[in-house]
Amino acid sequence: MTVTSAAARPGTAPRRASLELIGLSRRFGSVVALDGLTFSVPPGQVFGFLGPNGAGKTTAMRAIFGVVALDAGEVRWQGEPVTEQARRGFGYMPEERGLYPGMQILDQLEYLGRLHDMTASSARGAAQSWITRLGLAGRESAKLEALSHGNQQRVQLAAALMHDPELLVLDEPFAGLDPGGVDDMTEILAERARAGVTVLFSSHQLDLVEHICEAVAIIHRGQVVAQGAVSALERGDRLRLAVRVAGDPDGDWARQLDPQVASVEQVKSGTVLLVLAPGADSQRVLDAARAAGAVEHFSFATRRLSEVFRDVVGEDAPS
Amino acid sequence: MNRRWFRLTAIVAEREIRQRGRSRAFAISTIVLLLVVAAGVTIPAILAHNAKPQRVGIVGGPAASMTEIMQEAGRLTGTGVTVVAEPSVAAGEAALRSGQLDVLLVDDTEVVVKQVAIAGSNGSGGTLASAIADVAGLSKLLGELPPGAAASGVTLPVRGLTPPSASLSRRLTGLFTVVLVWVLISAYGSQIAMGVGEEKSNRIVEVILASIRPVQLLVGKVSGIGVLALAQAALMVATFLGLGAAVGSSLVHGAAPGIVITGAVFLVLGYAFYCTAFAAAGSLVSRQSDVGTVILPVQIPLILAYTLSYTVIYASGASTFYRVLGFLPPTAPVAMPVLYAAGDVPAWQAAISAAGVAVGTVWMARTAATIYGRSILRTGSRVRLRQVLGRAPT
Repeated sequence: MTVTSAAARPGTAPRRASLELIGLSRRFGSVVALDGLTFSVPPGQVFGFLGPNGAGKTTAMRAIFGVVALDAGEVRWQGEPVTEQARRGFGYMPEERGLYPGMQILDQLEYLGRLHDMTASSARGAAQSWITRLGLAGRESAKLEALSHGNQQRVQLAAALMHDPELLVLDEPFAGLDPGGVDDMTEILAERARAGVTVLFSSHQLDLVEHICEAVAIIHRGQVVAQGAVSALERGDRLRLAVRVAGDPDGDWARQLDPQVASVEQVKSGTVLLVLAPGADSQRVLDAARAAGAVEHFSFATRRLSEVFRDVVGEDAPS
Repeated sequence: MNRRWFRLTAIVAEREIRQRGRSRAFAISTIVLLLVVAAGVTIPAILAHNAKPQRVGIVGGPAASMTEIMQEAGRLTGTGVTVVAEPSVAAGEAALRSGQLDVLLVDDTEVVVKQVAIAGSNGSGGTLASAIADVAGLSKLLGELPPGAAASGVTLPVRGLTPPSASLSRRLTGLFTVVLVWVLISAYGSQIAMGVGEEKSNRIVEVILASIRPVQLLVGKVSGIGVLALAQAALMVATFLGLGAAVGSSLVHGAAPGIVITGAVFLVLGYAFYCTAFAAAGSLVSRQSDVGTVILPVQIPLILAYTLSYTVIYASGASTFYRVLGFLPPTAPVAMPVLYAAGDVPAWQAAISAAGVAVGTVWMARTAATIYGRSILRTGSRVRLRQVLGRAPT
């Protein structure tokens, strides 16, 4: 099942995409990691990249950086195929965190900054300011391995931010963070997006994604199964109504509705979830409900992102 | 490859030099190696000063003047001399063979030793036999003046009873060279493999390879570590030559420039040949603890050549098998300096072997870069060579 929100439909396209993944395919032996994966990320947005384990998220992110070879497909940045030069302007935080355990954190960040075309002195300055910003001031000469897990993750984030990237790709940045760490990370991602940076991150914490992201792409078995603005995905492609009528726990009143107006999706403890037919007037449903009895509840219904996720991913969704 | 390519590669090399150069392990290994070299040079020299007097046989001639010649030669070379009169040349040669005599002076015609050394630029320079030959020749010249004058030079011929061979000191210099090549390639090679294994196992390669290519990381790493290896080697050679000259070690007397140059050339070539192979081996593992297993096959040719080099150092004449090893790129860096130092091959053959290693190095670097590039990002179980050397990566 593929859900496409109104925002992603042709003709209503919003801002021009900055990052485009077009038909990415990659097999590892008999395992299909990416199967024609296609989606795009608008500039200056925090974009969530969701999918169950093994859906191909990490492979897709690695493909953006060219650290995994593609069998087919292309990654484009601002309309052009991604070059090595463009990649040095990207920031990457891989899922399996990688820094030198025995190297001092200031030296380490300086080194990574220089590999992204910074001069030694500007790299050192940026390293120092990120260390301070992330609450690690005074630990510049500490070796990475001497830091706590959460602090190591902060250094890893600093490594991705050092060279002020135009695109930030983070694989599971929230994994293993305490609530304070989550807040810091959230704030930094939002701030970067406000500064015009395109932020793409993967996560399994759907409530967090719902809270932080403007738009998401959900992938499953190497393909996009849903994408678009979070609000649009939660609303769904058609309007839904939740209605409860007193004294009718099975929602029998709704069975009498004209299918041209609305149809029953489910009944849960007296509340009927209805899908409104395209162009139908919600007031006709209200009239029918009032005719059946006292209306206790009447509202437009939205689904949680986690429900959308389970819906499109099916039995592979994490419980 | 443009300037940016080299600049980014140099940043990688610089990190290796800084991080490793200031590590305690590097400081300790340097100190230990220098102490070993210093001991190796000074202890034999100290022992040599207490050497027992040499026994010199004389046949014919006036015994008094010949004894005088011997003592003069002994004084010149700092050697104690005991003169023994031999009844005939045959008896003298028999005594030489059995080791009862060290040198035999026959009349004023020749000096006989068990074996002539081919080292040094002027005959067997510096030895008692050559000093005897010089002094006796001069004495003969003085006795014969004016008739013969300096017609055939003033030095008597020195004859060996067995075929000539390189002097032991020259061989020992060769041994020093080989130990140096072996120790440095093995030690730094495993450091490269460990470093690559570390980068792969903690996944920093993903961060680094997002901005540079695998070959840049590979080249930067091996050249950075190579600079440290060469710096350590240069320190050791300087200590060897400096201390050796100071204590008058016979090891250093044997250090003909040719051996030092050959050793240096093969050290650089050997490092270049092996460093990329070690890096490729390190890229195959996912856990650093597996590095030992994958580098063993890389080390086997080195171990073979190194072990067999002792048979060449302490025997006269290398086996055909060892000569073949001297021309095979994987074993030549260790085998050829030994063969050259032992006088078993001329310089031009060493040059051919060096060219062979250089060609082999280019091939090895290409192959290793392919293996490295294809396996450095493959996690999970150990990568098999056949998985990465196929026509297309899977």
